[in-house]
Amino acid sequence: MPATDSSSAATSVGRSFLSLRRDHHNHIPSDPHHSNSSDLHEIDAFQRHAADLLNDLVLSVSDSDSDDPFLSLAWTRRLLDSFLICLEEFRAILLGLGLAGGDLARPPLDRLLHDFLDRAVKVLDLCNALRDGLDLIRQCRKHLVIAAAALSSSSDSAAPRGEAQIRRARKALTDLTILMLDDKDVSGGGQRNRSFGRATRDSSASHGHGHHRRSSSGGSSGSGSGSHLRSLSWSVSRTWSASRQLQAIGGGLTVPRAHDVAATGGLASAVYTMGAVLFAVAWALVAAIPCQDRGLQAHLATVPRSFPWAAPLTTLFDRILDESKKKDRKHSCGLLKEIHQIERCSRQLIEVTDTAEFPLPDDKDAEVQEATQELLQVCDSLKDGLDPLERQVREMFHRVVRTRTEILDYLSRPHNATG
Amino acid sequence: MAEDGEEKLLATVQHIVKTLGRTDTMTEDILKVFSNYDGRLSLDKLYATRAAAAAAAVAAAGGGGGEHSVPASPPMPPPPVVHPPAAAIPAVTSLERTVRTLDRQISQFVTMERLIWANSAEADAFLEAVDDLIGTVQELDAAGTNRPLLDRADELLSRCMARLEDEFRALIERPDDVAPAAPGGFASDESEEEDYDADDGYGDEPIPIAKPVSDFDVVIDALPPGSVSDVHQIARRMVDAGFGRECAEAYAAARRGFIDESVARLGIRSRTIDEVHSLPWEELEFDIARWIPAFKMVFRILIPSERRLCDRVFEGLAPYGDLAFVAAVRTQALQLISFGDAVSAASRAPERLFRVIDMYEAVRDLLPDLDPVFSDPYSAALRAEVSAVCNTLGSSIKGIFMELENLIRRDPARVSVPGGGIHPITRYVMNYLRAACGSRQTLEEVMEGDLGAVGGAAIAVDPDRPTSSLAVHIAWIMDVLHKNLETKSKIYRDPPLASIFLMNNGKYIIHKVNDSELGVLLGDEWMKQMMSRVRRWSLEYQRGAWAKVMSVLQTGGPGIGCLPAKALLQKLRMFNGYLEEICAIQSEWVIADEQLREDVRAAISDSVKPAYMSLISRLKSSPEAAQDLFIKHSPEDVEARIQHLFEGVSK
Repeated sequence: MPATDSSSAATSVGRSFLSLRRDHHNHIPSDPHHSNSSDLHEIDAFQRHAADLLNDLVLSVSDSDSDDPFLSLAWTRRLLDSFLICLEEFRAILLGLGLAGGDLARPPLDRLLHDFLDRAVKVLDLCNALRDGLDLIRQCRKHLVIAAAALSSSSDSAAPRGEAQIRRARKALTDLTILMLDDKDVSGGGQRNRSFGRATRDSSASHGHGHHRRSSSGGSSGSGSGSHLRSLSWSVSRTWSASRQLQAIGGGLTVPRAHDVAATGGLASAVYTMGAVLFAVAWALVAAIPCQDRGLQAHLATVPRSFPWAAPLTTLFDRILDESKKKDRKHSCGLLKEIHQIERCSRQLIEVTDTAEFPLPDDKDAEVQEATQELLQVCDSLKDGLDPLERQVREMFHRVVRTRTEILDYLSRPHNATG
Repeated sequence: MAEDGEEKLLATVQHIVKTLGRTDTMTEDILKVFSNYDGRLSLDKLYATRAAAAAAAVAAAGGGGGEHSVPASPPMPPPPVVHPPAAAIPAVTSLERTVRTLDRQISQFVTMERLIWANSAEADAFLEAVDDLIGTVQELDAAGTNRPLLDRADELLSRCMARLEDEFRALIERPDDVAPAAPGGFASDESEEEDYDADDGYGDEPIPIAKPVSDFDVVIDALPPGSVSDVHQIARRMVDAGFGRECAEAYAAARRGFIDESVARLGIRSRTIDEVHSLPWEELEFDIARWIPAFKMVFRILIPSERRLCDRVFEGLAPYGDLAFVAAVRTQALQLISFGDAVSAASRAPERLFRVIDMYEAVRDLLPDLDPVFSDPYSAALRAEVSAVCNTLGSSIKGIFMELENLIRRDPARVSVPGGGIHPITRYVMNYLRAACGSRQTLEEVMEGDLGAVGGAAIAVDPDRPTSSLAVHIAWIMDVLHKNLETKSKIYRDPPLASIFLMNNGKYIIHKVNDSELGVLLGDEWMKQMMSRVRRWSLEYQRGAWAKVMSVLQTGGPGIGCLPAKALLQKLRMFNGYLEEICAIQSEWVIADEQLREDVRAAISDSVKPAYMSLISRLKSSPEAAQDLFIKHSPEDVEARIQHLFEGVSK
């Protein structure tokens, strides 16, 4: 937790609500409920803590040796942790105020809160889509495990890999590649390419290569079993779009007017902060994890530098956008570091093994072994990281629901009637 | 150590096999018995020691040189010590011959343009070849002396597996393409198949899932027993050859189409949470009405049937069956569950209570039955999601029920009910609570928040006591209603009318409580208190409305006989005026309850009539007054006027 002493708040002129409020103090009659300065400290502290958390997240961008490198599964889990912390603090501020007899249901706060609650609902659908995305990665992992097992199955590990192992691994990697194709690359699920009834025997090497080329060049058809699997990966309707959902979450999220900030005793800023964090986290998750109709076009209206979290938030957006523009990531189904590793290893393996020469020559076999090691390592980190991440996404879902319900309760509870 | 014990067990089995198994078939039979007997004697454990197992197999075969000497399936348990492969060296050449022969045989099969399983004899031959090949690969692998031949056999095996996978999927996806029931020794299905009628034209029959079902004790047999047996045979070979994961994936991919279609037939439309939030309640109610039977159908019939099918296809092949099962059903299961999440997260308008209770009960009631279906570690997460949605629906019910309180509090006291009658909020709340009482077991369960105990100990909760959470909460709601009504009574400018209003609503509440299980929940104390309140309001009314009448009729005790006649006449005039006034105003007032109306009239009569009669008799006995005495109302007239009060007739 950052320091919450009043001196630091007071010195950050132009940043704190104390000062913002002071500016308007003489013009706007202040609500007796909101004149408690400890509320203001709390709101300031909340914002600075959000800034710290975001800062931590963007710091690992530069620090390549960290345990949880940028956009890795571990980093994504930290992102979710940070979000949950922010949400909890936000909730504590609002409900604390409600308990202290403050009135959340008074304009303009009621309108701001209802806006926030609408965004929150939209995040719930996103959480469900993200869960599907994580399941897609889990399906990918199954193919990875098959490939890895095939390539390291020989009882004599020194012996070069034989054609059977390579063939088996390539089949798994081909299924994997199709699974990871971006949605737009998959046109309606075609009949599975069976070995009988079609003259495709003895061509599995080039067959596999064909799939691979399609994925890297963003081609247009997927006729293998993967597209069949793929069509079943999403539980949301076919027209649903993560990209549009993000736009809806970020839409209309504007900097609160000074008048509103003052009239709400700074709460308007807290609501804005939470809205921005909600959007940023949703955006980063969509960037990282496969989703139906992914897209990062949605953006936040410029955040004034007076908000302590403005700078790290902008950095976060920029870094992720940079990553998404990298040549080898453009067509990824997600920016997750592990997805990149999967793509790299499987591409390498498919390229190296695109040969008719068996057993593999020593240099190629060494390359295969190396890639296999990396494959095994990715399998391990997916095994350790996917389940906790999925649980966190569920936690995010449930906590958003809970917070939303609590705020709604406060808004609907007729404080005025009794007090 | 457990592992140590296992090793000993395996060694013992090995020993028994060697001692008893004098011929190949006997060995195979014994092994089969063992592998069926104990999961430890088959599968994954054995893969780790495949080399050792195969070496032992060579030794066990006694170097007989027979090409089919190795029982390929299930794999041999490992021996405690690895025998030197001395006996294997002369076998290498024969192995080469074996591989060549198998290559010829198998190549014919894998290049076939039609399903191999369309012809059961061919299928058997192919399986036999695959078995031989698996055994040969194991032998070669164990010997480790002929790498090129092993690679060749391995390559051949991988082609077999690819073909088997395709056949496997085809058999599951289109069982009717295949000739019926392949004969073979695997008749494990008969006892379970009584409800399956093979003459039914199984293939043409649509899956019986869309028919209305009231009895959920039904199992769908998506595959005819013959196909199940075929598919099991393939699965076993794939697992034996180390292709278990591929097999599980192929299975899941092949089943998903069926599962998706089955769920689609239930008429469930997938809704985003966004949609659920913005949907008009009538439409959402319609969705819920479809969801409940669909949910039961899927979790009580479809998924258990999938489990059964999967268990039979992967019988003895754990954990691949578990992997395959989860992969097959996960998406549809989660999709159904997420509608529950969406409804829970949506509006908490009180009218939603009953539909959400229906949803909750549907989920809660099937939870215990899910345990055997989702018992393995892979599907534990699904089981947890069903529990979670049950909890979420439970807290949603709690929230909706609480929302009733807000609804009462928010109900504004702007317009008064004419004549002090029963307020709509009183009717709404009482009828709502009465209806809610019909689900009081469930309500009590969610109020207690003891959702962890759902399906088990929760039944022990007794909602029929005034100290239960539900009863306390209902008493609280009654309190809130009472306060709200008191506030509303203040808008009547006539205080007696306010009393009438409270009396009316109080009486209505008592009536509704007595008429339902609410009485049990609120208890006798509450009822006594409520009745005394109504009495108090009645007295307050009488005092407020009739006080001046009574005071004007007051002629004092016997000592006031000296009251001048003029004053008495004045009193009579005033009484007449008051009576007119009261009757004019109060004829519009209402007492809805007949008994209460009678009681109040009688009470007024009882106090007014004797006093009036005494005034008149005084006047009559007064010589001065008696002269120009004009009695406008006889005591009977007065009583009649009183009897016409509270009928709510407007002027």
